[in-house]
Amino acid sequence: MSPRPFAYAALPLLLLAGCKDREITAYRAPKDPPPVMPGMPPSSGNPEAGAPASSGQDMASTAVPTASGEELTWTAPAQWTVKPAGAMRKGSFAVKGDDGDADLSITAFPGSTGGLLANINRWRGQIGLPPLAENDLAANKVHLDVGELHLDVVDFAGTAGGKPTRILGAVAPVGDNTWFFKLMGPDALVSREKPAFMEFIHTLKPR
Amino acid sequence: MKPITRQFRDFFVSLKLTVVLLGLSIILIFWATLAQVQLGVWGVQEKFFHAFFVLEKIPGTGFPVPVFPGGYFIGGLLLVNLIAAHLYRFKLEWRKTGIQLTHLGLILLLVGELLTGIFQRESQLRLDQGETKNYSESYRDTELALLDTTNPDYNEVVAIPEALLGDGEVIQYPKLPFQVRILDYYPNAMLQMRDRAPNAPAAVATMGIGPRVALIPLPLTYKQDERNAPAANVELIGTEGSLGKWLVSPLLGMPQTLTYQGHTWEITLRFKRYYRPFSITLLKFTHEKYAGTDIPKNFASHIRLKTDDKHEDREVLIYMNNPLRYAGLTFYQASFDNDDRTTILQVVRNPSWVLPYVSCILMALGLVIQFGIHLFGFIRKRSRSS
Repeated sequence: MSPRPFAYAALPLLLLAGCKDREITAYRAPKDPPPVMPGMPPSSGNPEAGAPASSGQDMASTAVPTASGEELTWTAPAQWTVKPAGAMRKGSFAVKGDDGDADLSITAFPGSTGGLLANINRWRGQIGLPPLAENDLAANKVHLDVGELHLDVVDFAGTAGGKPTRILGAVAPVGDNTWFFKLMGPDALVSREKPAFMEFIHTLKPR
Repeated sequence: MKPITRQFRDFFVSLKLTVVLLGLSIILIFWATLAQVQLGVWGVQEKFFHAFFVLEKIPGTGFPVPVFPGGYFIGGLLLVNLIAAHLYRFKLEWRKTGIQLTHLGLILLLVGELLTGIFQRESQLRLDQGETKNYSESYRDTELALLDTTNPDYNEVVAIPEALLGDGEVIQYPKLPFQVRILDYYPNAMLQMRDRAPNAPAAVATMGIGPRVALIPLPLTYKQDERNAPAANVELIGTEGSLGKWLVSPLLGMPQTLTYQGHTWEITLRFKRYYRPFSITLLKFTHEKYAGTDIPKNFASHIRLKTDDKHEDREVLIYMNNPLRYAGLTFYQASFDNDDRTTILQVVRNPSWVLPYVSCILMALGLVIQFGIHLFGFIRKRSRSS
């Protein structure tokens, strides 16, 4: 009996194995549970037991938990449309405009997250403004008391993506966490929405 | 028998062919061992062993050219040679049973290796204490996963393998209401927040966290304990035009979402997942050391295995040299992390795992029988002559 048929029979098996790598698959999967351990960057698991190697790469460190604990409620103006909040945000709205929408994000993080100055300067960086020094901070923010909440409100205009962009922001410590409310979008639109933003801030209260 | 057929038969059956093939395999293994310094284990497996030919690029052109027979070629021809010789010289004699069994065992060993090379799939299962997972993840392969998260009970997943990302084509799939265009793809890249990398090139992405992240391409790593983390910029195109551009990478901890036509979607580049009809929970990971030293004595994972249909719900201890065999998979205690709070199990699917054991038994039996026959023959001759 000729041995060649054996060799020919083996070939299709090998070709089949290669083709499977390029198949798109679709299936139904259960939802992932929310992350158990906060702030854990995924490290590369190595095949041998022993000292685990760190990946040595700078992570876009977004695996930060949002604050748990005291929650706030708010009433948003009618013209703001609700967006799905996503894993990082406590709330998210879109404000429709003629040349682009503005985005309102509500986020909360444990602790003081680096302090008010650092966060203000982060926002300023996003619209191409130079950072403020500590002694200029007081002149660039407005303190507001809403019920038991103490808010610092800022209003900055700069450019992002070549277009004039404005950020209206409010920062408030709530229990052990810090809450951030940031309305960012085209300059004209955000300026127009400022009264609505201030009204929104005044509706904040603990749940 | 025609002369040309006889020539073919003589070629495949000859012992000279066996010797030549064994010589070639020595060269191949030696070359691969030297190359392992640069390429690492899996690189060498791809290039030298799981290939018909070893390809080298012509210097200056990048055009690959076969320069030496590879593992499948030599191994395949050896298998053919062995089977051919076996059949050609097969004589159903009682005296030859030992040799026949040994040869059969050897054939089975080679066939087992071929099947393992084709069908084996290894993945890992990383569990933090208290965490439950019903999927394992590939060590190296990634997939672009688009999840329809509208339903509160489950996700509808469309998984696009990484191999398609490098094509740069527009991907369409019946379950997706939009087209997926891969704008660029990097097999290994580092991500950094833009405010820490001010000189990075402008972001391609317009949505999600992409605009805030700088992408720095890296060369592929072949080191055993490092993973390549690919990154890609992906554009989703709906019926009315582009929905936006996203940066995706397994390094991003946060899922990126969008809404389209009343459905919420999530887009992520993650390590390829293999979902199973059961889930495993890590109850406790223990790491015993020899008393008074730091030398590890034993690693054990105390896990709970639960099937989705509630048929099975039991606790199992997985430790070194004591894997869990379940549902055609074997779970080995492979590694650990996070100060003993995380266990990493290696999940192996190898349908032909029994073959090497069977072939070793056959070969051992064959050798014992053969030598036994010679021994008894010799003893009988001696007792007859004395």
